[in-house]
Amino acid sequence: MSITVTGLVKHFDSFAALKGVDLAVRPGEFLALLGPSGSGKTTLLRILAGLEFPDAGQLTIDDVDVSEQGARDRQMGFVFQHYALFKHMTVAQNVAFGLRVKPRKERPSRAEINERVDRLLQLVQLEQLGDRYPTQLSGGQRQRVALARALAIEPRVLLLDEPFGALDAKVRKDLRRWLRGLHDEMGITSIFVSHDQEEALELADRVAVMSEGRIAQIGTPTEIYRNPANAFVCEFLGNTNRLTCRIEKGGAKLGEQFFAAAVPSDAPALPGVAYVRPEDCDIHTEPNAAGLKARVLKIHAAGPAVRVELRRLESDEIIEIHLPPGTDAPDVGSDVALSFRRVRIFPVATA
Amino acid sequence: MNPKPQNAPRRRDPTTEPVWVRWLLILITIGYLLAMLVLPTVSVFIGGLAKGIQAYLAAVSEEDALAAIRLTLLVAAIAVPLNVVFGLAAAWAIAKFEFRGKSLLITLIDLPFSVSPVISGLIYVLLYSVHGWFGPALDALGIKVVFSATGIVLATIFVTFPFVARELIPLMQEQGTDEEQAAISLGANGFQTFFRVTLPNVTWGLLYGVLLCNARAMGEFGAVSVVSGHIRGLTNTMPLHIEILYNEYDFVGAFAVASLLASLALVTLALKSLLEWRYADRLASGARH
Repeated sequence: MSITVTGLVKHFDSFAALKGVDLAVRPGEFLALLGPSGSGKTTLLRILAGLEFPDAGQLTIDDVDVSEQGARDRQMGFVFQHYALFKHMTVAQNVAFGLRVKPRKERPSRAEINERVDRLLQLVQLEQLGDRYPTQLSGGQRQRVALARALAIEPRVLLLDEPFGALDAKVRKDLRRWLRGLHDEMGITSIFVSHDQEEALELADRVAVMSEGRIAQIGTPTEIYRNPANAFVCEFLGNTNRLTCRIEKGGAKLGEQFFAAAVPSDAPALPGVAYVRPEDCDIHTEPNAAGLKARVLKIHAAGPAVRVELRRLESDEIIEIHLPPGTDAPDVGSDVALSFRRVRIFPVATA
Repeated sequence: MNPKPQNAPRRRDPTTEPVWVRWLLILITIGYLLAMLVLPTVSVFIGGLAKGIQAYLAAVSEEDALAAIRLTLLVAAIAVPLNVVFGLAAAWAIAKFEFRGKSLLITLIDLPFSVSPVISGLIYVLLYSVHGWFGPALDALGIKVVFSATGIVLATIFVTFPFVARELIPLMQEQGTDEEQAAISLGANGFQTFFRVTLPNVTWGLLYGVLLCNARAMGEFGAVSVVSGHIRGLTNTMPLHIEILYNEYDFVGAFAVASLLASLALVTLALKSLLEWRYADRLASGARH
């Protein structure tokens, strides 16, 4: 199932939720819509499901225009953020719902429905709980019921709205892994919305980072992490240090190092921001070492990396650096020099 | 510092009061219920049976009393279903759609609660009596509203109008539209969504509203009194009949019919408890009422 979205615009009263979104979803891929709240990711997902209609733009599924089609006819499996399970029905009745409401001539027989429900409950590992009511289940179990219910109608695409948002950390991790396995097994095109960058980067084949009603960047998790296209993506994805700098001659100097920026080399000098990930920095403790001067404020050695917090001497900006475990950390209060392995520089205007 | 003083009070649940406070509260509640609710209700039955079971049965089976019972049941049978349909429609509209004038509509629904029932009755007299706005036109068509069962039904509908809607609006608002959206995305049409998802979710609230509405429909006095005209055997409902008997110093008769009216209320209450008990498991797992 390939989905193509072009020029999608959606307003809620005076608020512009989507300001022209273009997106092509490849068949069988697991796509994440990642962004802060208010970036339009849920609106986009709901428009794909037919639960919301755009003010402008087009939506095609396998080259068929479905812009005017309602949710009922779109055959999209939608998993709601808070699951929206039918409270008055048992787990099995919930899963069977989509089959029972089919028009008579398409509806499977009672025995077939029961068999399919059993199979789905097995798939989501809830075969023992078919007779329970949703309120008698844990959050993770409810999530899986919602998934089984959406899968029952054999959807063309699976859409998940913050699928792990309401779960605690441990369950979330397990369920994440399990969902990825399920996706690979079934080969169904899936799109999920998340505000958690770690979740999106770990789970998805491709990530679309959204900001203020637009897609800021789309790519594989590695591409997006290593080559953020703009300042927003830089800041939103993972821990990053933000250092003010001055862009001159197509780049900026940090300490003794010069890094190129995405501006013409003959452009006039302008203020910029350099983004450096904590793992892309080196600390030089020897006296008179070349680099950006900083003072060590704190050291957190507990955890997978040694986290060093420093203050840049020129500007009082706080810098966080991750050293591989076992590295000798500098002394607290000492002055050191920093060098950087990878820096992204953007002019302030777009930052 | 001694962390555990010898005579420290025993630890208890932070929300639990001392025993004497608990007993005091329970006693006040029971005493109040007995004095204000149970005793008067019991006295109605005792008053009805004061001259023996024969007199009781005679008063209840007298022709005018039977007519009043029939009329009361008829009025409830018309007013309650109509207000259920209206209440559902209003609650649905208010809880699930956004539109202009919504808060005005909510206020309007409450109007019958804030207006004295006598005024509710007078409104109908003003509109439909021979000298009223629509009276002459309806009269020409041979339809009589005031001093007839029609007027009583209309006045009762007016007075009992908010019960179902008021019960359902907060319930439906709280539930939102998530489950409906889920049903639609699973391929359900409007009817299926309403009957399989929306309605079952509000069953208990609806039932509660129906019971309240029914109790008020059978018991309404003020509004009905104004439009009825008190024609015995024709436009007398049970509350009106009771008043007439009482004014005629027929205390046994008045209390006998009153006990019957009270019994109808007790039956509806029992019915509600029975349903709650019967569907306790569903109740526990689903809706709130």
